Amino acid sequence: MSEQWMFYFDPNRCIGCHACSISCKQRHDRDADADDWRTVTHLKSGEYPDVEEIPLSMSCMHCHDAPCETVCPPNAIEKREEDGIVTVDRDLCIGCHYCAWACPYGAPTYGDDGLMSKCNMCLGEGPGSGHGKPPKEKPEDGGTKPSCVDNCVGEAIKAGPQSEVMDEASEAAAERFNNGVHKSRVVVEPVEEDEAAAETIRDQDDSQSAEWLNG
Amino acid sequence: MAERVITMSMTVTAIDFGKTATLLFTEFQWLPADYWDLSIPVYLYFAAVAGGAYLAGVSACVLRSRQLVEAEVLAGEIARWGFMLAVGSAAVAGLAVLSHLAVIYRAILFPVYLTNFSSWITIGTWILVLLAILAVVSLLFQLFGEQAAEESRSSGWPRLLLAKIGVLDWTDRAVDRVRLPAVAMSLLYGVGSLLAVATIYTGFELAVVQTVPLWHQPVLLPVLFLTSGVAAGVGLTVAMTMLFERRFAPVFGGYAVAVGLLSLTSFGVAVYGWHRIATTDAPAAAASHAHLSSGTLYFGVLLVALGFLAAAISGLAFGVTALFNQLPDRVERIGGPVLIGSFSLLAVGGLVLRLLLLLAAEQNPVVVAL
Repeated sequence: MSEQWMFYFDPNRCIGCHACSISCKQRHDRDADADDWRTVTHLKSGEYPDVEEIPLSMSCMHCHDAPCETVCPPNAIEKREEDGIVTVDRDLCIGCHYCAWACPYGAPTYGDDGLMSKCNMCLGEGPGSGHGKPPKEKPEDGGTKPSCVDNCVGEAIKAGPQSEVMDEASEAAAERFNNGVHKSRVVVEPVEEDEAAAETIRDQDDSQSAEWLNG
Repeated sequence: MAERVITMSMTVTAIDFGKTATLLFTEFQWLPADYWDLSIPVYLYFAAVAGGAYLAGVSACVLRSRQLVEAEVLAGEIARWGFMLAVGSAAVAGLAVLSHLAVIYRAILFPVYLTNFSSWITIGTWILVLLAILAVVSLLFQLFGEQAAEESRSSGWPRLLLAKIGVLDWTDRAVDRVRLPAVAMSLLYGVGSLLAVATIYTGFELAVVQTVPLWHQPVLLPVLFLTSGVAAGVGLTVAMTMLFERRFAPVFGGYAVAVGLLSLTSFGVAVYGWHRIATTDAPAAAASHAHLSSGTLYFGVLLVALGFLAAAISGLAFGVTALFNQLPDRVERIGGPVLIGSFSLLAVGGLVLRLLLLLAAEQNPVVVAL
């Protein structure tokens, strides 16, 4: 297979604006109340006033082992050899929803027609549009940048061939990926601010701690 | 806040994160886990019941071939009811799964469209359709023909329907004309029996789903589905025969023992599976266990357990007694109603088991540890 395309996500840059989710729907001309191909969830922990919140943007990860492809009875789901992007042929789909159970990220969605649709890294426009398209190319080679990447306000989402995504990732993110975190399906940056605060506190620098706590 | 940060960094455990840096935020992003409606458990259940009923029918044909005078008549009834229930159950299973699909014609044209033999849905479709075809053929040979005309009793009600529309004699002659020789019939029953056992695929359809810990038990779940489904199929066949024959004869003894043993096995497997779910650390498993341990679902769990135990105890007790011809009049009088009741409860419990597995299913959450 040619190089696998994959997503990269940096929660330090994500502001939880949902631009990725909305632009995805606009690019693919989907109704506003349709299930999101890219979801943004605000994960909270702690209790008021000590609440931590992290926005999480998630879509199909185009897994290297694609469990959805394995379970699909009519072979409607295909992990493409040329770029590793997982697409669906809606002319074969029977709407059994087996792929949704197999997916570890809840990526498959089903419209009023009952057929499956999901992120195709903007190989095409519209549900099922990725099937049969030419290999994904980088924007500089004339390809289309995924809408979520293109419209992310904080540049928190990136997509590209695995080697290029890994080059852009930090050492910590690359180490996690190589250690099999998220089963090496997506590169996710660790949260930087909390690490800095923890390190500051460990160093017992009172002035800096106070600045962090008050700021 | 500083103290809390230190506390968080010290107490957060690394879930699948290996040698990564300090983890300061861990939350779960839960998935919907609501992709199937109740038609799927109905499909999974009746496919296995069809297998059990078919096995009951085949075994009855074997008994008849031994030409034991008293058993021959009842065995004929068991065979006809068994094949009839197999056909009916397969039909219900097929209709149930088709009702769930978005594009039905692609499933009906399954030899053309369902080409992924890595998928248990594809494998299962072939098994169910072939079993249904063989069950129909087996039923026709038992229900029609000169011999069936002479001996059919309550199970011969389809003959009354055909007689009403005036095609019964024609059907009897046609079936006798195409009746297969004994060797071919044995081959048909053998292949059908293999397909009946192959309805274990219904368990594999769930067991291969790695995201749902409640289902992902690659040995336990298929075994549980097979034993409970076959027990229900055999039990319903025997119950129907006893209901219309209105007696409990020694020929039913072996079937009652079989249902009893299968039910006991099902109960044991279910208990072990419950223990495994209750003691695993996976968050989704804990959530499923919590669902099953309270409210309406807990009532369902009790119903399933009661069905297995009632069928096991009554099946073994009455079955062994009947097998050794130790049937006092009193036992013979109550044996029928008790077995009909307990096997019916078993059948209901088997369906409820599959419903519970769907309603309590939770997918592994996405672990967000940053």
